[in-house]
Amino acid sequence: MSVLIGFDLLDRQIQDCDGQSVGKVDDVELAVGTDGRPRVVALLVGPQALGRRLGGRLGRWVSGLAGRLHPVAHPDPIRIPYALIAKRTSSIVLSVRRDRLPEPTLEAWLREHLIDRIPGASHGGQ
Amino acid sequence: MKRLLAVTLGILTAIGGFVDIGDIVANAEAGARFGVALAWVVVVGVVGICVYAEMAGRVAAVSGRPVFDLVRERLGPRVGLVNLAGSYLVTVLTLGAEMGGVALALELVTSVHYLLFVPVVAFAAWVVLWRVRFETMERVFGLLGLVLVVFIVALFRLPTDWSQLWGQASHPVPAGDENWGTYGFFAVALFAAAMTPYEVFFFSSGAVEERWSTKDLLTSRANVFIGFPLGGLLSLALMATTAVVFHPLDVQVETLGQTALPVAIALGKIGLAVAILGFFAATFGAAMETGLSAGYTIAQYFGWAWGKFRRPREAARFHVVLQVSVLVGAIALFTTIDPIMLTEYTLVGSAVVLPLTYLPILVVANDRDYLGNRVNGPLANTLGLLYLVVILAVATAAIPLMVMTGVGG
Repeated sequence: MSVLIGFDLLDRQIQDCDGQSVGKVDDVELAVGTDGRPRVVALLVGPQALGRRLGGRLGRWVSGLAGRLHPVAHPDPIRIPYALIAKRTSSIVLSVRRDRLPEPTLEAWLREHLIDRIPGASHGGQ
Repeated sequence: MKRLLAVTLGILTAIGGFVDIGDIVANAEAGARFGVALAWVVVVGVVGICVYAEMAGRVAAVSGRPVFDLVRERLGPRVGLVNLAGSYLVTVLTLGAEMGGVALALELVTSVHYLLFVPVVAFAAWVVLWRVRFETMERVFGLLGLVLVVFIVALFRLPTDWSQLWGQASHPVPAGDENWGTYGFFAVALFAAAMTPYEVFFFSSGAVEERWSTKDLLTSRANVFIGFPLGGLLSLALMATTAVVFHPLDVQVETLGQTALPVAIALGKIGLAVAILGFFAATFGAAMETGLSAGYTIAQYFGWAWGKFRRPREAARFHVVLQVSVLVGAIALFTTIDPIMLTEYTLVGSAVVLPLTYLPILVVANDRDYLGNRVNGPLANTLGLLYLVVILAVATAAIPLMVMTGVGG
């Protein structure tokens, strides 16, 4: 089935199989198949991918800021293989749970260094 | 029966939640300066927020996509980011203005300078955002805000000359020393107070938080079509009371205390206490809504996990944005800018950024991929396009009018 990358994929919300937010489709990875036609092989998620798409000084700033937090010097964005997409509606629903994917660096960093240190961080939710 | 109760409760919450510091300031000032000659703008604004919120609520209930998801999907990452920057800035400054309103209400009760209350209010706001359930929060402040009905009661107890009010309302021109510039500026402020962008961010994200589906469209429409107009009626009552008390004397309203004075004249101390309670509930409730909206916009643009239905540790980035936003709002107040002045600036800002979030909603409300057969009908589209023109005109006029009149003069 043909997909309009710009319209049906880019900037859409990605959810896991339980409806939890995974991220936005910040970019896609293409590869040329055996028939010579390009196809989407993965969704790229994270500020590194977003920064590259924004371009210019702002884009470099977004990628640079994300890179600073990361333990690796030039981290790659989170890569979600296209085969993990269960269905495409107004959002993109994956066939796996969120914890099977790499966790976004900023989320993990803020949880560990700030949120978990405040009483009641595990409280609530309904 | 249970469903009816839920719908009624939703409507009551929407009424009480409608009024915020922007409505209080814009309506009270306009009433004192122009009588009710600008009442028509409130009506136009309320119809506008109904059109906008109905579309956003329907999109959120049917597709599960709140406003800023759609902003990025429709406008792309670059224009979306500019939009995010503008909307976030206005929302956070509005949060500051709402917290300033809470602090001013506390000053009215205690005579302690409002700036001393700002840290307390900011901390209380954060604690509620951190710990209190979404539904509890929404209902407590929404229902408590209903006590602003005291302004309607006061209007009947004051020596109100109804035929004179009708005369002002039906001759919508600047009276006395006022000119078309100040008239235009207050028209923009009143329109922006009724049709504030954060209200729709909050309404549509709240629909997602409460897991609305197509079944909840009735609740959504009842909230919008009954709750918002009745909330607008409270705004009009505020305008009418200052029109009755201050306009004949040519006295301008510049403080929150003056806004409550007509109620004190009509109903004495008890009335005054109720009015101040109403201000407190309306501004504190709106501080919650603007605080959450600030978090919603950023989290939805970047695709982060968000919402009060998650544990804070499962939405760490979202909760950090809430904390930073409350802090920025408090810092804005600590510049010692008059909260009433800050409110006027945020109203102008709201008018300017509104088209950027309105347009994507109007486009998506016509997209069958999102809504199936629930897309806009002819009426929703006629009104939707009409208001697009109105919103663009107001956005274009807002800054020139602000500069020309020196923020209303």
